[in-house]
Amino acid sequence: MKSKNKSPIKVALYGMDGRTYKTMVMFLQRSCKGIAFVVDEFDAEIDIIDADFVDIHKVINERRSKTPNRPIIILSLHKQSITGVVYVKKPAEAVALLAALKEASSPQFLKQIKNITHSAVSDNGVKAKPVETKPVEVKQVTKPIVTEAPKNIDTEEQKKVAKHKTAMRLNEGSFSTYIGHVEGIDFSVREQALKASFNPKDYFMGYVLSAMAVAKNKSRILQLNSSWKPLVIFPHSHEIWLDADDKQLRAFAGLKIHSQSESGMKLIPVDQNTLGVKTKMENFYDKDVFLWKLAIWTSKGRYPNYIDINRPVFLKQWPNFTRLLITPHSLRISALLIEGPRTLINIADSLKIKPQYVFIFISAAAALDLVGQAERESDEIVAPPSIKKVKSSGLLGRVLGKLRS
Amino acid sequence: MSQFKIIFTGPVGAGKTTAIHSISDVPPVKTDAVASDMAKDRKAATTVAMDYGVMNLAEGEKIHLYGTPGQERFDFMWDILTVGGIGLILLLDNTRADPFKDMRFFLDSFSHFIADTNVAIGVTQMDLSSKPTIDDYHRQLLGMEMKPPVFAVDARVKNDMSLLVQSLIFSLDPGLEDE
Repeated sequence: MKSKNKSPIKVALYGMDGRTYKTMVMFLQRSCKGIAFVVDEFDAEIDIIDADFVDIHKVINERRSKTPNRPIIILSLHKQSITGVVYVKKPAEAVALLAALKEASSPQFLKQIKNITHSAVSDNGVKAKPVETKPVEVKQVTKPIVTEAPKNIDTEEQKKVAKHKTAMRLNEGSFSTYIGHVEGIDFSVREQALKASFNPKDYFMGYVLSAMAVAKNKSRILQLNSSWKPLVIFPHSHEIWLDADDKQLRAFAGLKIHSQSESGMKLIPVDQNTLGVKTKMENFYDKDVFLWKLAIWTSKGRYPNYIDINRPVFLKQWPNFTRLLITPHSLRISALLIEGPRTLINIADSLKIKPQYVFIFISAAAALDLVGQAERESDEIVAPPSIKKVKSSGLLGRVLGKLRS
Repeated sequence: MSQFKIIFTGPVGAGKTTAIHSISDVPPVKTDAVASDMAKDRKAATTVAMDYGVMNLAEGEKIHLYGTPGQERFDFMWDILTVGGIGLILLLDNTRADPFKDMRFFLDSFSHFIADTNVAIGVTQMDLSSKPTIDDYHRQLLGMEMKPPVFAVDARVKNDMSLLVQSLIFSLDPGLEDE
């Protein structure tokens, strides 16, 4: 290993339960960002062992027999004096760990390890002697419920910040400012509201949905080029890559596209290995989060024209609201609709809300294929039940108010 | 005055303590108990932690937030804990080898309580492991004929936990005023 190598050091972790392992992964990602990151044992350059939960003699011997020239760092509450091992006192602090990583990757230390392992195997080629250490107090932990080692953790995933951003919630007051409005429709007039539909195929949304279907069908990465910015679709990881902020996307989503040739829309296959997008991890979006926003900014309070306003719709599952743009009343609409099918107008009337809040929710949920339209005759005939007041509704309302304060 | 509770459950490390901390008005309290019968195992004694927090409402009303102890041997406490509960928050850790197994276990363990109230599921650690996806959880739940809210959550983020609890509340009464 090169001490002057500027690329981050790959470390493997041992002797840690699932929780500690994850904490350590996060600690390295934050406090040692760009200096060290966790990989599996085969790819590691340095081993880090938590000495307080394992038989440290055994683990060190195992590691030295498998990877004799790999430096070892030990984390422990108690001072450890083991030859050829760097010790860090717990609780591990960033400065101490950084110093330990520096020391463990230095040429002098690597030379020292080689000498140790060479002398250990030179006695008739027998395996390394057990390391000599001071007694270690071995702590035991209560077996947690369904104890299992963590799965492989994807250290790249955390860099995709847009994917894991918490939800933004719009109230009625901020709705128009953030969403925009459609000229010529007065949603307070029922007749106009009923006709407030849009055709997704007339907008960028339609092209994106179509491109996503092709990418999924062909099971390959595709790039959608247009007169705007290229958008890359990763069907396997359900991700979108786009170098544009919300403001730019909102503006483009609302533009009507008259024809494919005019817009310059083109779908081309791309090779992941030659793709430069990996350099901008923050531009990765979860497919659903992206589509939801795109649908909202295309809809602006209208419903998609393939939804029959007179027939009940149903919700297949709750949307993942913590990662979505939350439009007014969408939690209530979901809770109501998950109970059974209703027409869009019935939802608005039952919840006593403006129809455009129902329409925009349905547009977004439909883009994610979370909405179906009832086809059975009985669904249309049987009137949806009215909402029953629960006994504790006063208390629940106060809890809700508290959560939103 | 009546005592109302929201119960937080899930496997060890799923984020129950952190979740309660995120929405509690007081620092979470850990109620410790000594389990002397553990002596035959590897320790003379162990500590069982049951997390507790509280949300203060107007006029002195409180919602108590209880986290179930994770250890299997304290399952018997779960039934007692749920008395007076208005609903269940189930937190699952997406980095565990089989989070579906965890989900089935807890939904089964609290099935009576869920039947009387409702459940909302939060999946933690999705930034460390993006699979299984939220859709995968819904597919599993559909097989159990359940359609609860399932959200990706970071237990440290108040907004995430607040939305999860709000979904539980709206599941109980969609007619509640929103704004």
